[in-house]
Amino acid sequence: MSTPPSPSAPESGPAVNTRARRRPVGPAFGLTLAAVSALALTACTGTPTAGNAADPAADTAALTGASAAAGSSASPLRGGVIEYGHLQEPNCIYGGWIQENFTARQVLDNLVSATEDGSVVPWIATSWEISEDQKIWTLQLREDVTFTDGTVLDAAAVAYNFDYWLDGGNGTAAAHLGGFYDHSEVVDEHTVQIHLSAPFAPFLSTISQSYFGLQSPTALQTRTDEENCTEPIGSGPFTVRDWRRGEYIEFERNEEYDWAPENARHQGPAHVAGIRWNIVPDNTSRYGSLLAGEMDAIGEVPAVNIAQARQEFEFTQYITPGRPVVMNLNTQQGIFTEQPVRQALSFATDREANVESAFLGTVPFEPSGYLSQTTPGYDENAATEYPFDLDRADALLDEAGWTGRDADGTRTKDGQRLTAKVVYGLNSIITPDGNTVIQNFQEQARAAGFDLVLRPGTPSEFFGGAFSTPDSYDAQVGYWTSPHAGILNINYRPSTEDAPNGANTTFLDNAEVFETIQSALQAPTPQLVTERFSAAQYQLSELAPAIGLYAQTNTLAVSGEATGIWLEPAQGGPVFHDAAFTSEAARDASEGFASRTPAENED
Amino acid sequence: MTVTTDRVSLPEPPSPAPGPPAPGPTAPGPRARPSATALAVRIGRKLAGAAIVVWAAATITFLIQTLLPGDRATLLLNQQTGQVQERTPEELAPINEMFGFDDPLLIQYLDFIGGLLRGDLGISYTLYQPVTTVIGDQIAPTVVLTFTALAVAWALALVLLVLTARRTPWVSRLFSGLEAAAAALPQYWLGIILLVVFALWLGIFPVVSGSGTAGLVLPALTLGIPLAGFLAQVMRTEFERSLDEPFVLTARARGLSDSGVRIRHVLRHALLPGLSLTGWAVGAQFSAAVIAENVFARPGLGRVLVTAVNGRDLPVVCGVVMLVAVIYVITNLVVDAAYLLVDPRLKESA
Amino acid sequence: MSTSTAPLHDAGPVTSAGPVTSAGPGTSVGPGAFRRVPVTVWIAGVFAALLVLASFAPSLLATADPRAINLAEPLAPPSLQHWFGTDQSGRDLYSRIVHGTGQSLLIGLGATGVGVGLAVVFGSWAALGGRWADAVIGRAIEVLFAFPILLLAMVFIAVYGPSVPTLVFAVGLGIAPGYARMVRAQVMSVHRSGYVQAARALGHHPARILGQHVLPNALRPLLAVLTLGIGQSIVWASGLAFLGFGVAPPAPEWGALLEAGRPYITAAWWLEIIPGLAVLATALTATSLGKYVESTLEGDR
Repeated sequence: MSTPPSPSAPESGPAVNTRARRRPVGPAFGLTLAAVSALALTACTGTPTAGNAADPAADTAALTGASAAAGSSASPLRGGVIEYGHLQEPNCIYGGWIQENFTARQVLDNLVSATEDGSVVPWIATSWEISEDQKIWTLQLREDVTFTDGTVLDAAAVAYNFDYWLDGGNGTAAAHLGGFYDHSEVVDEHTVQIHLSAPFAPFLSTISQSYFGLQSPTALQTRTDEENCTEPIGSGPFTVRDWRRGEYIEFERNEEYDWAPENARHQGPAHVAGIRWNIVPDNTSRYGSLLAGEMDAIGEVPAVNIAQARQEFEFTQYITPGRPVVMNLNTQQGIFTEQPVRQALSFATDREANVESAFLGTVPFEPSGYLSQTTPGYDENAATEYPFDLDRADALLDEAGWTGRDADGTRTKDGQRLTAKVVYGLNSIITPDGNTVIQNFQEQARAAGFDLVLRPGTPSEFFGGAFSTPDSYDAQVGYWTSPHAGILNINYRPSTEDAPNGANTTFLDNAEVFETIQSALQAPTPQLVTERFSAAQYQLSELAPAIGLYAQTNTLAVSGEATGIWLEPAQGGPVFHDAAFTSEAARDASEGFASRTPAENED
Repeated sequence: MTVTTDRVSLPEPPSPAPGPPAPGPTAPGPRARPSATALAVRIGRKLAGAAIVVWAAATITFLIQTLLPGDRATLLLNQQTGQVQERTPEELAPINEMFGFDDPLLIQYLDFIGGLLRGDLGISYTLYQPVTTVIGDQIAPTVVLTFTALAVAWALALVLLVLTARRTPWVSRLFSGLEAAAAALPQYWLGIILLVVFALWLGIFPVVSGSGTAGLVLPALTLGIPLAGFLAQVMRTEFERSLDEPFVLTARARGLSDSGVRIRHVLRHALLPGLSLTGWAVGAQFSAAVIAENVFARPGLGRVLVTAVNGRDLPVVCGVVMLVAVIYVITNLVVDAAYLLVDPRLKESA
Repeated sequence: MSTSTAPLHDAGPVTSAGPVTSAGPGTSVGPGAFRRVPVTVWIAGVFAALLVLASFAPSLLATADPRAINLAEPLAPPSLQHWFGTDQSGRDLYSRIVHGTGQSLLIGLGATGVGVGLAVVFGSWAALGGRWADAVIGRAIEVLFAFPILLLAMVFIAVYGPSVPTLVFAVGLGIAPGYARMVRAQVMSVHRSGYVQAARALGHHPARILGQHVLPNALRPLLAVLTLGIGQSIVWASGLAFLGFGVAPPAPEWGALLEAGRPYITAAWWLEIIPGLAVLATALTATSLGKYVESTLEGDR
């Protein structure tokens, strides 16, 4: 979850790895998991023994292997520093922001690792089981793991981290587990129990995100906030070597590393000596730097360059699970309090053609206003209930009494115009291409008599809550990444006096929908989970509080000089543990760390 | 950019002014070379003035950041988690507590000013680093860029001026037009064109500039060319006017070559408005740096400032604003001194 | 120091320049200069006329609807059908630029007007209001110079939302201190000039002296600078757009067009280059007309 405030915040999703040339995007997205019913727990939930989830692990290993295998030979080259170009700079290496999730993945390990099919495989936890009442998770840990400060990663450390996350250490982690987490208990040195206050089906999938990366308790307790921000101590494949703000972050190989997740391509320390994580905010510069050979890989390939990137580079695109980019309609105030008006707007525009045109065919249309096509539990039939149908839109508006017309063609009723203020965080949440989609939508909606007024907001306005109350907008465009359909609970739990829910941006207050979602979260079997989430999607679709626009995606382009970089499926961040140079020439040409002195700017 | 441009535009005042460089009847009094005490008084007043400028800049920043709509604790919490939602008082309490957002405004202000007096700029709300560290890490690239751009601007302007002013009419007019065009260039427009042409197409310069030397060229041109346009325009008027002055005739009569006259005598007069403009432009260049930094992926204070403003990271915003104020103030001191060196009238009257 | 700057060099350069001359008979402009209108001024005049036409009757110049999208034809290069190509929504860029002229000029002229207005009031006040007024206003101007105006603009826009009037005011406020400084210096020197002294000796009312003698003479030499400000204000507004404070889409204001075209520079150069040229041409037009008018006025005197 976590709507990354990044222009192009990436998230997770099944990889559509197109080793370029061959595969057009369209079919690739067919990979969607609509059919794959499972939440993360498929393997484990049903049978309290479950544990190591061997089968899914094998599957995923194959999958990731496929995506990464591209240019690699039997024994990858060791050494060299990968130059990676990234859009946005994190505030800290580890934190609750998506950008911090990406950097945390390089330095911290998780208990479990997510795979493309939505299941999880062992990482620091080797096996797990769940109690009959589904409220106690018992995790067995590896016994050989040490943090890079030399301390041991044991059950006490895991228990400490859970408390740390929930107790202000990570707001996003707390948003996920808050209300479900009760306490942790150290059973023995390498066994820990997590006690929940209520069943929470997506537990394992949730903790596969790097917001739940494990840090050394000693480091957390003894060091300053600044040190823990810029140089968190984990057990991951890299450590932070240097950080020149505004320019780059350097990660250096952890030579001791021998506990990669089961879906990693290899065990043992990383092949490369390190990564230089360059911050290149300008799209033209970032893509240009890959073309010019200055970068070995970049994230967030601009839509206008994707066609070429498919030709020239190893290109990977992930469709984020969770809530896609949707237009949320304010159900409490303004014209969208009327359900027929919401439905009419849903029918009114040709969103598919719009998205195809605005993204030049590189990003898929997402008909659902609630879940993206890669979210486990996505119901395609519910998602497509509102095709482009101008006649139905007109009919709905006529029936609702919006029969008058202003000089500019805008419908009116009792002197009121059919107008709505649409707010969105331009360049912080919505990319320039997304801005095009919104403008196309606005223009198309005029045909049905809607007058949508666009109001891009600044980050300060958005994060400061200027557009968080029912009187501040009629519609809001945004997305929210999450590895599971539990996002519906976050987005549609009605706000109450005792437990306000600021994440409910449609302000929908519908007990029936809420109960359906709750029953899905606590359902005893994966089949029931899926069925109940489907029911919730149909109920929402009828109420039409949101309109789907396009899938939130994460992209990666890798030059021929490097290979083995993959996007982890929980949030879509790049993983460099398996990266290697493809030739000695390329490796030797890479600028090593030696030529720069990291200590220089430390004080 | 925004910032820049304007500032730059303003300082044109001297240019349009037609008139003899000799002290006119209206000249504000003769300037006698000051005595030692008078000098001390003048220096003292300048320092006091400087302190007031820096204090006022800090105070305005404080007020803007605290009074802007939107709750600061909400903003911080939302940023930490990437959400854009309303927050409950329970969620916000620890943050308000930590940063004292609940204190009366006056107390917050006194805390803030007290910290400044102790040289403590505070800790960044979002980076957890002392502001002095944040700024210290970023100041070098920005200073280098700003002053390189100034140097580029001066070099371009002087060469153009000496070579083309008051030559064949069409040459003068052409270059005068080019200067006007340069002065009207939107910086990021210029920057992106330079990037595409020289880095992407021709591959002469790196696309990602970083803080290296090769990467300095395009950003410096991006900021320097528009400024050169302004400088040259401002100085051209004065330069051409000076060419009509009697002392030019005298110098020629004494057998000085044309370029000798231009460089040794006329240029001196033309430098004055250019110097004023430079003093004014420095503050603006710092703000303009944000564009070059964004387009060319350079580290620097411009980016820090915009990020901090968007994140309402008050300590960082204040730190950067005061730094810019201090640099502005120092530059103007230097410009004052340069005036004494260059201005013939000031010398004569001594 | 910066403070001191004001008294020290403002007086310097400006006095040297200034109205001083105007008092005298001499003009630096050759006598023939204003009789023959240069070609460049003709071109500027014609372009200015087009700009005015585009502002008040854009439909005469561009018949296509600037908002009409064509999803089948995004990013089409310039052609006979679309002179300037189409944008990312398939909209006709030529129509958008023509229809955006009014807003852009409004920002340029409006902001310059606001800036000059503030500058005249405060600059004159500082020059004529006595020591205290001069000290306080002079210092305030210094502070504004030392202050990233971006912050002020952001406050305005944050409070009132991004719209043309807000931009006009934000930009106007940003450029005011520079003009105020010039006005102050000019007013001061004119005020000390012989003919003003004479008028005062004749017992004319101060307001009359200000209106009839001081301001006209003080502002005339600033004309070229002011016209330069029109282009600068448009550039300024586009800078605000760059930082996310521009006019809301789908308005075809030029600064917004520049910012919207930036991501497409390699794929669709026309989206970035052509609006930039429009800004440039407008700025040049304003400057050359300003210079010509100024020199004509000088010559007339």
